[in-house]
Amino acid sequence: MRGQVSRKTILAFIGPSVIALAVIGIAPLLYAVWTSLHFYNLTKLRQVRFIGLENYQTVLTDAAFWQAMGRTFLLLATSLPLQLALGLGIALVLHRPGLTLVKTLTRLSLVLPMATTYAVVGLLGQVMFNQQFGVVNQLLGQNINWIGNASNAFAMIVFWDVWQWTPFVALVLLAGLTMVPGEVEEAARLETSNWWTILRHVQLPFLMPGLVAVLILRTADTLKLFDMVFTLTRGGPGNSTEMISLLIQRVGFRVFDQGLASAQAVILLIITIVLARLYIRVFYKEV
Amino acid sequence: MKLRILACTTALAASAATGAMAEWSLKEAAAPYAGTTVDVIFLTRPGYDAIKAMLPAFEEETGIKVNITDHPYENALGEQVRDFVAGGDLDIALIDLVWIGNFAENEWILPLEEVQAKFPDIVDPALDMDDFFPLVLNAFGGWNGKIYGLPFDNYSGLLFYNRCMLEEAGFDGPPETWQELKDVYGPALTKDGKYAFALQSKRNETQSADSFARMLWPFGGSFLDADFRSNLLSPESQAGLQFRQELMAYMPDGIVAWDHAETVNAFAQGDVAMITEWSSFYTTMVDPATSRVADCVGVAPEPAGPAGRKPALGGFSLAVASQADEAEQAAAYLFIQWATSAANAREYLERGGVPARQSAYADPALAERFRFIPALVESWQEGVPEFRPRFAEWPEITEIVQEFGTRMMMGEISIEDGAREIGTRMEAVLERAGYYSGDKPLAQ
Repeated sequence: MRGQVSRKTILAFIGPSVIALAVIGIAPLLYAVWTSLHFYNLTKLRQVRFIGLENYQTVLTDAAFWQAMGRTFLLLATSLPLQLALGLGIALVLHRPGLTLVKTLTRLSLVLPMATTYAVVGLLGQVMFNQQFGVVNQLLGQNINWIGNASNAFAMIVFWDVWQWTPFVALVLLAGLTMVPGEVEEAARLETSNWWTILRHVQLPFLMPGLVAVLILRTADTLKLFDMVFTLTRGGPGNSTEMISLLIQRVGFRVFDQGLASAQAVILLIITIVLARLYIRVFYKEV
Repeated sequence: MKLRILACTTALAASAATGAMAEWSLKEAAAPYAGTTVDVIFLTRPGYDAIKAMLPAFEEETGIKVNITDHPYENALGEQVRDFVAGGDLDIALIDLVWIGNFAENEWILPLEEVQAKFPDIVDPALDMDDFFPLVLNAFGGWNGKIYGLPFDNYSGLLFYNRCMLEEAGFDGPPETWQELKDVYGPALTKDGKYAFALQSKRNETQSADSFARMLWPFGGSFLDADFRSNLLSPESQAGLQFRQELMAYMPDGIVAWDHAETVNAFAQGDVAMITEWSSFYTTMVDPATSRVADCVGVAPEPAGPAGRKPALGGFSLAVASQADEAEQAAAYLFIQWATSAANAREYLERGGVPARQSAYADPALAERFRFIPALVESWQEGVPEFRPRFAEWPEITEIVQEFGTRMMMGEISIEDGAREIGTRMEAVLERAGYYSGDKPLAQ
């Protein structure tokens, strides 16, 4: 049948994306896999040699790697529930009828934290949480050592992550709430005035695709979180805020051991893919 | 090794001088290379601003263009390594003393004598290598018996003290020893929200160089013993690290998050009575625009420990990059020679730089204007070149020291366990590098 799209057209449409993906994504990935199988230190290029899975063995038995991974998941486990709770709260408030102008302004202002560059957030944090001159201590009337104390520094990272990404969760969930057919929600409200029942049985099914997207995106973002922490604490004090991406950067670009850093990155990639598949299998259901 | 370097460089300077003394001029020497552009990385620090201000005179006289890219210290090594590995544009290497083994072993930089032999006409007969402080020349520019770079941005650790605070507490001068600083000055000056001392200890090179190493050497400790095995568990090293822990009682909270900026600032605000900092921060402390205590600043050599005065040593040399083409190598050499020359040292000093030329400090009147000079000159008489080992493995080892050094200070790990952990990991790095199998000479 002549109505079919020709092969050429298909190739012309898909080709550029496939090429771009191959050049930007696939080729560096394959190169990283190749590097991870070699002793490859930028300052010892004369000694580059194939060492099989030795780098992977080093990573898997390295306490520093698993500690950094643990810290990263601890950040995810503390900041994500906060973001979901606060985001859902904001979305439900914005979903209520009335006060159109205020809600429009609120929606607009929600975009601001997301539009702030990660590195700038870190620098802002440094200034605001400075023990002596920071506005936070001034407001609290306290002399809290935020950046130089291990637990406080971690709490500060959680705070900034929540500040920056709660609006994103709120906007995604708000979009989900607007998907609920008006008559269904209205009928539910006639049946019960319990907001939890409506949320659980009427709204939640429509929120699930958004929630899964948020889970996947925020997990991936947290696993690769670098700029904000680097500018704020540089992984310190000690290694109390050294997330997995900071460790990889340190090994790859400060120790210059690109082989080991590549092995760490490949393992991180595998963990991310497994998690993403898990999220989709457990949570995702078509409405 | 020092003697060999000195003999070699003196001979070179002397041979270059014969017959050329009278007629050599920068303009003529540079004429064949006019129009050449050389690329170099600079740091955002006072010494670099000083040379930048002087640069137009050089460019006008030689026709050589110097293309400078500024980087913060923490990025400078990575930027240069990537450039050299990729065969990039850099014609001059800016070398922190702990990078020199790395750069020399990778042959990214050329020995000075090789450049001078290649371009004999551009060697200034007045170069006078003997005029550099020998310790500084060897530590900043020398590696394994050869001189590669000329000392450019030069530091020694100094004790900066707030004379007014000390006098108020009844002291008529700074402490002579670390013990005195802790036991006598510490309790007397730590009160009313003010602290006796601050030791910058942030987890980066500051932790290794300014904090950890600073407490090892004066107490007789060191990173490595003669066989390149860890010496961190020796009674002397342990005493130094233990001392640092005890000294923290007289420092502000969260000192493990303090870098140079926080430390200098706390001193300049009058919150801390004493700090041990690089000579290059002197201008910040005495400038009323940046310091509340400008009139009270006193400068002394770092206090002595049981093993004597072993002040922190740090600084940068400039060397010709091997990846540069012939004209760029010659132009690069001319710039380095000019920037570090005895003739320009005075102006460099007056504009905020710290030259490594002995002749620059000869004028006694200068010590009145630059109060750090006597202490600096004294410090450069008895420093330790391997204050931090300068071999190619330092970038790996410093990361280990930074992590466990900070954790020791925070009390997350004991001094002994931390030192053992650093030692084990450090030896593993050195083992891999081939120091124990005899593949590499035990040079640091």
